[in-house]
Amino acid sequence: MGYSLRIGPALIWLALTATAHADPDAGAGQPYLDPAWLMLGHYHPDTLGDGYTSQADDPAFFLSKNGKHSPASELEATLSAIQRPGGGDNHARCRYPARTAWLQQEFDLSLAPMDCPAYGEWKETLNTKTVTLVFAASYLNSPSSMFGHTFLRLDPPQEDEETNLLLASTISYAADAAAHDSEILFAYKGIFGGYPGITTIQPYYEKIRLYSDIEHRDLWEYTLNLNQEEVDLMLAHAWEIRDRNFDYYFFDENCAYRLLALIDVARPGTNLLDEVGTHAIPSDTVRWVVDKDLISSVHYRPSAATSVAYSLSSLPDSQQTLAAAVANGYVSADADELKRLTASERAHVLDATYDYVRYQSEAEGWPRDIAAPLSHELLQERSTIENVPPPETPPEPAIRDDQGHDTFRLSLAGGQLDHREFTQLTLRPAYHDILDPPEGYRSGAQLQFLRLDARYYTDNDELQLEQLTGVEIRSLSPRNQFFSPLSWQVGFGGRRTDTGTERVLAPYLEGGAGGSWQLAPKTQLFAIATADLEIDDDLRRGYDAASGADIGLLHQNNQFSLMAGAKTKAWIVSSQHRQYQAYAKASWHIGREFSLFAEFTREDHYDRYESKWQTGLHAYF
Amino acid sequence: MKKLIAGAILLGASSMAFAQPGCGVGAMIWKGQSGIAPHVLAATTNGTFGNQTFGMTTGTLGCQTNAAVQSMAMYMDSNIDKVARDMSRGSGENIDTLAVLLGVEEADRGTFRKVLQDNFATVFPSSETTSGEAVDAIVALLEKNESLSKYVAA
Repeated sequence: MGYSLRIGPALIWLALTATAHADPDAGAGQPYLDPAWLMLGHYHPDTLGDGYTSQADDPAFFLSKNGKHSPASELEATLSAIQRPGGGDNHARCRYPARTAWLQQEFDLSLAPMDCPAYGEWKETLNTKTVTLVFAASYLNSPSSMFGHTFLRLDPPQEDEETNLLLASTISYAADAAAHDSEILFAYKGIFGGYPGITTIQPYYEKIRLYSDIEHRDLWEYTLNLNQEEVDLMLAHAWEIRDRNFDYYFFDENCAYRLLALIDVARPGTNLLDEVGTHAIPSDTVRWVVDKDLISSVHYRPSAATSVAYSLSSLPDSQQTLAAAVANGYVSADADELKRLTASERAHVLDATYDYVRYQSEAEGWPRDIAAPLSHELLQERSTIENVPPPETPPEPAIRDDQGHDTFRLSLAGGQLDHREFTQLTLRPAYHDILDPPEGYRSGAQLQFLRLDARYYTDNDELQLEQLTGVEIRSLSPRNQFFSPLSWQVGFGGRRTDTGTERVLAPYLEGGAGGSWQLAPKTQLFAIATADLEIDDDLRRGYDAASGADIGLLHQNNQFSLMAGAKTKAWIVSSQHRQYQAYAKASWHIGREFSLFAEFTREDHYDRYESKWQTGLHAYF
Repeated sequence: MKKLIAGAILLGASSMAFAQPGCGVGAMIWKGQSGIAPHVLAATTNGTFGNQTFGMTTGTLGCQTNAAVQSMAMYMDSNIDKVARDMSRGSGENIDTLAVLLGVEEADRGTFRKVLQDNFATVFPSSETTSGEAVDAIVALLEKNESLSKYVAA
C-alpha cells in the first residue's frame, strides 16, 4: 500500500465531493451524510454532540480506523479500497458488496467485473427470489420470549415445483447467550448489554423445530414485496454484517431492530428504524412493516401445541375420552374400541393421540420408555389406514398478532378511595393487560412493563405516585383432560401499602401459582396461591410478608372483558392482620383504540372496611 | 435445483465438517455434540436441542456418494419424528420435503408416499430405530422399486 494509493483516493474524494454538490439528495452535499450510506454503516447521530456513531461493535466491520465514529473516513476508506487492483474473496468489493453497489451508483464509478467466489457461492446457494418476515408469536411461559421474535426467510423461486419452503434459509439476529445462563442472567444482560448479537443463517425447518415444536409459538409469515434488485441488495448487506458483532439489547437493539435495518437497506427511504423509539417490540415492528405497504401476503403456521389442541377438540366427546385413554395407557392402540370406529374416525383418533403424546413428551417430559413404544404403536396402526388425509389444520385466527391493540396505553380515570376523590393518570409503555382488548393476544395472558400510576387527590391537592410496576406477568391457561398447565403470576415494583395509619409507597415482590379451568368458551375460573413481600421502613419490622389466595372468574370477548373475585392475604411479619378483598374490574372495548373501564374493590384490613372505585378511559397507541 | 437445495442444507449445518466429503453419512463428523443417535420416536429432543446442537446419524450407510441421500439423512436427523408421522399418514410436508431432497419428480410422488406408508414397519421396525437406520431402510426400499430406484442410485 504505497503513497500512490493514498493520493488516488484523495483526488477521487475531491472529485466526488464536487459531484455530490450537484446532487440535492446527497446529504447536504456530503455523500457520507447520505441516509443510504449512514444506513449501510449503521450510523446514528450522537445524542450529545453532532457526530455519528455506528451501532456495529466489531472493528472488523470497518475499513477505517475511525470507522466507528466517522462515516466520512469510512466512506473514504471504502472508496479507495474498492478501487484497489486485485481480487479474490478478501478484496473490499467482495467483502462489501452492498457498499460497493451504492458507491458505484452514487459516484458513477466504472469498476471492472470482479469474481467473488465465496460470496457468489453463498448467494447462489441461498437462491433467493423473495423474502418473508416471520413472526414467532409471544410465548408466555418464558419471559425471554414474551415479546415474540422475528426473523427473515429467504424464499427460493416458486415456479419450481420441487421447491419446498421448509428447506429455505433464514436470517436471524439474536443474542449469543451462553447456553447455560439462567433466565435471570439472560434478562439482566439482555437489558443492560453484555451479549454480543450475531446474525445466523439456518434452514427454516430448524426454526420451526424450535419455535413451533419446542416453544409452542404460532408463526406468522409475512411475504415482503421486495423486487429482485432489492432482495439482492438486502443479501449483499447481510453478507457484510454476517459475522459481525452488534451488541444486543433486549428492548431496542434486538432481533426485530436489526431486521428492520436490513429492510431499510433493501429499500432506501423506507425508514423503518425511525419508528423505533425506546423499544422495538417485534409485534410492533411487524405493524410498521405492514403500515409501510411492504407485505404482499400473509400465511399462518400454527404451532404443534395449537394444532394438537385443535385436532383433539375437533374429535367428538367419546373419541376424546378414547384418545385420552390410549395416551394414558389404559387402552392399547390396536384395541377393539378403536377397531369399531370407521377407518376415517380411527385415523383421526390415532393422529390426534400421536400428536398429543409427542407434544407431551416435548412439553411435559413424558419419559421416553413410555412415550416411544406408544408413539411407535400409534404410528404403526395409523400406517395401515390408507387414503385418509391427516387432520385439518387449525383455522387462521381472524385477528393477527399485529392487528391487536397497540401496546402503549394511556389511561385517565376518576375515582374515590374511602371517600377521598382522585383523578388518576396511568402510563403503560408495554404491553398487554388481561382486561385489554383480547384480539391478537393470548387469552388469559398479561405482561406489563414499567407501568406508572399517578393520582391527584382533589381534597388536599396532593399528587401521589400510586404504583410503579417494574414487570407484571400473569399466565392463566385453562386445564383440561389433556393439558394441565400451571397458572402463575409474578411482579415487582413499588406500590402504596396500608400500614394501618397511612398509605406508604413500598417496594414489593409478588408471585403466585395455581390452576385455571374453562367454564364456558370465553370464561374461566382461576384459583391461585399467592405470596407477597413488601419492604419499607414505615413497616414495623422494615418488611412484611404475606401468604394468600386469589380466586376469581375471567371472561374475555371482543366487546368486553371482566374479572371478578376475592383475595385474602395473611400478613405475618409486621402487621399480623389478615386482609380480605372483593374485586370486580371490567373493560368495554371500543374498537381496538379505546376501552372504557371501571373497577371496584371492597377491602377489610385492620378491622375496617374501605371501598375504592374508579372509572375511566384507556387509549392505545 | 436439487443440487442447490442439497447445498443449502449443507450450508445450513455450518457447524459441521466432513471427514471425507461424499463418503457416507456415517462418516460425517459433527462439531460439538456427537455420538448421540437420535432415536426415532418421542423425547428425542429434550435437552439435546440448543445452540446449534445436531444429532449424529449413525446409520450403516456405507459409502453413499449420492448427495441427495446425504441431504435427506441430515433432514431426517432433525425432523425424524415428524417424518415418521407423515409416513404413517402417507402425506404431509415432511414427506414432501424428502421427495424434494431426493429429487422425486411430480409423477412419482404418489408412488413415493405410498411405498413409504405401506412399509412403515420396515423403515421403523421398533421404537429404538435410529434415524440412520431409517435412512438405510428407505434407501433399500426405493432401490427395490422400479420407478423410484433412480433417485437413490449412487
